[in-house]
Amino acid sequence: MRILLAEDNATLSQQIKAALTEEGRAVDAVTDGEEALFLGFTEPYDLVVLDIGLPERDGISVLKEWRKSDMNTPVLILTARDGWSERVDGLDAGADDFMTKPFHMPELSARIRAMLRRQAGQLNPVFQRGPVVYDSRTNKVLINGMPVSLTAQELAVLSYLFHHAGRMITRTELSEHIYEYDGDRDSNTIAVFVNRLRNKLGKDLITSARGQGYQIDLD
Amino acid sequence: MGSLQRRVIVGGVAWAVIATVIGGFAVTTVFDDIANRRFNEALRDRHTQVIVALGDTQSPDRVEAVLANPSYARVYSGRYWQLVGENGELYTSPSLFDAELPQTEFLTNGPELWEGTGPNGPIRGVGERVVLEDGSVWNVSVAASLNALSAERAQMQRSVAFAFGFVGVLGIAGAALLTTVLVAPLRKLRDDVRHHWDSEKDLLPEDFPTEVAPLVAEINDLIRRNRDILDRGRRQAADLAHALKTPSAAMRNELVAISRKVDGTAPLFEALDRIDAQIVRSLARMRAATAESAIHVRTDVDHSVQRIARLFRSLREASEVNFEVSSHAAIVAVDAQDLEEILGNLLDNAFKWRQRKVRLSVDIKDGMVDILIEDDGPGIAEGQRRNVVMEGARLDTSVPGTGLGLSIAHDLAKAYGGSLDLSRSDRLGGLCARITLPAVGLQARAISAISA
Repeated sequence: MRILLAEDNATLSQQIKAALTEEGRAVDAVTDGEEALFLGFTEPYDLVVLDIGLPERDGISVLKEWRKSDMNTPVLILTARDGWSERVDGLDAGADDFMTKPFHMPELSARIRAMLRRQAGQLNPVFQRGPVVYDSRTNKVLINGMPVSLTAQELAVLSYLFHHAGRMITRTELSEHIYEYDGDRDSNTIAVFVNRLRNKLGKDLITSARGQGYQIDLD
Repeated sequence: MGSLQRRVIVGGVAWAVIATVIGGFAVTTVFDDIANRRFNEALRDRHTQVIVALGDTQSPDRVEAVLANPSYARVYSGRYWQLVGENGELYTSPSLFDAELPQTEFLTNGPELWEGTGPNGPIRGVGERVVLEDGSVWNVSVAASLNALSAERAQMQRSVAFAFGFVGVLGIAGAALLTTVLVAPLRKLRDDVRHHWDSEKDLLPEDFPTEVAPLVAEINDLIRRNRDILDRGRRQAADLAHALKTPSAAMRNELVAISRKVDGTAPLFEALDRIDAQIVRSLARMRAATAESAIHVRTDVDHSVQRIARLFRSLREASEVNFEVSSHAAIVAVDAQDLEEILGNLLDNAFKWRQRKVRLSVDIKDGMVDILIEDDGPGIAEGQRRNVVMEGARLDTSVPGTGLGLSIAHDLAKAYGGSLDLSRSDRLGGLCARITLPAVGLQARAISAISA
């Protein structure tokens, strides 16, 4: 899952990015509104965390611009201004959720998880396919009730496939959603991650069609 | 000071009364004098006629025939003559019938005016002692009743009073009309200020007379400055919020990371909580202080209610809540952002503590708009209500938040001359927060009762 983080405070931005990366998200962090606007238009993000008080261009105007151009990615607004009018303005501009600073990181993570799930049309935070159980709240993966250790990239691939269960995902789409903007996007490495997942979680979990991509079907 | 129009009308009426009384008195005096002179001249003429008649005839008993005046023939007609000889011989006009004129003896050096009582009230006469060619001496008197003169005077006074009254009324009407014409630009200015205040447009000085135009320019400046003060206050509060809360958020995250490795960080979290609460409280105070300097602000209550209701309906937990909104069309003298701040804080509190139901209703009473926000939660004990509103206190630290929402709503309502009262909700059983705010141009019309 790839997230655009637009926050001008470097420390806070690093903290949020670290927390989200730890959960297996690919995070592109930007510090001004213009850059956020550009990346939001050009990159296929699964979610945007948008600070209202951005330099160059404020978050509300960036959001309005996106929504005007039918950019439907869920947006969580982050702001130090806790005025209720601004929340309504944010909602009217097309925001999906709102958090005021200072906030608790676990709450931000939980909101992001819920938004990603809603966006993918999944209601249950726990995904299951045969003996494999993936809990999106804790990022824990179990096979036959036993925990399995996965790398961040493996978790990212698994999470994306589970969130979009029932649909064939191409390698390109997968690489676009698990790598950061300046990351190494060799789609061949996707095959390596899928292979490792099959070794750890069983060959039947991920089906593939040659030249088309990968798919997980839920029980 | 009262209105200019009223002052002009009251002043005009007072001036018209004074002018009418003084003018009427002066005109009456002049006319009175003229009437008196005319009366006396007529008397002298008639006196001369009697002397001439006596001289021509040399016989007093033929005077009546020579004069041949019907008014001397009619009994008590008010016109009389009388001749009294040296030896008391008496000849009178038939109009005197059995009466006599009171004055009988005169001097020879010209006609002499006198007044006395005649057969029908007061009379005025002219008398003179004349010597005929035959050497006989006669006191010749002519008199006329003063009743006619009094009647003439009264008639004239009535005419003068009517004429002056009419002129006075015309004067007052003219003054009122003139004031209306003169005050019209000021009235337009008042209406324009009312309409333009909330918009970004300036008033146009060229639309007003040259005497008023400088005032219009000053008002434009005042409106701009007031708007600037409000905007600047808000901007400063927003910048300060950003400057304080972002590092606070970063600090909290670092602390979370540290607390995973080290024990005993609880006091640090408590200190940070206190700092955050203080930031929220200080920003709210800045906001209330800015609100106090806001003038001529107008907000459509229903519009703000619907906006905030929309926000709360979009919350994740909204599906669990029976949230009922009953709104009214009303305008309050409160800035829109501040009204939404009040509503947001009170609804946030209601949503935090409710079981299943939250109700927002708007009512209009005695020139004030009442906004009631009720829930079916545990409510607040009577003894703690004042503390919560005045000081801002977290009664239950297990529920997230600063505990300042009610206090912020109270400070803002107070800044606009309103109030926040807490009580037990009769309808839902939980807390009932009643915000009372000053209304503007009431148009009470129930719009709709919407339930979600």
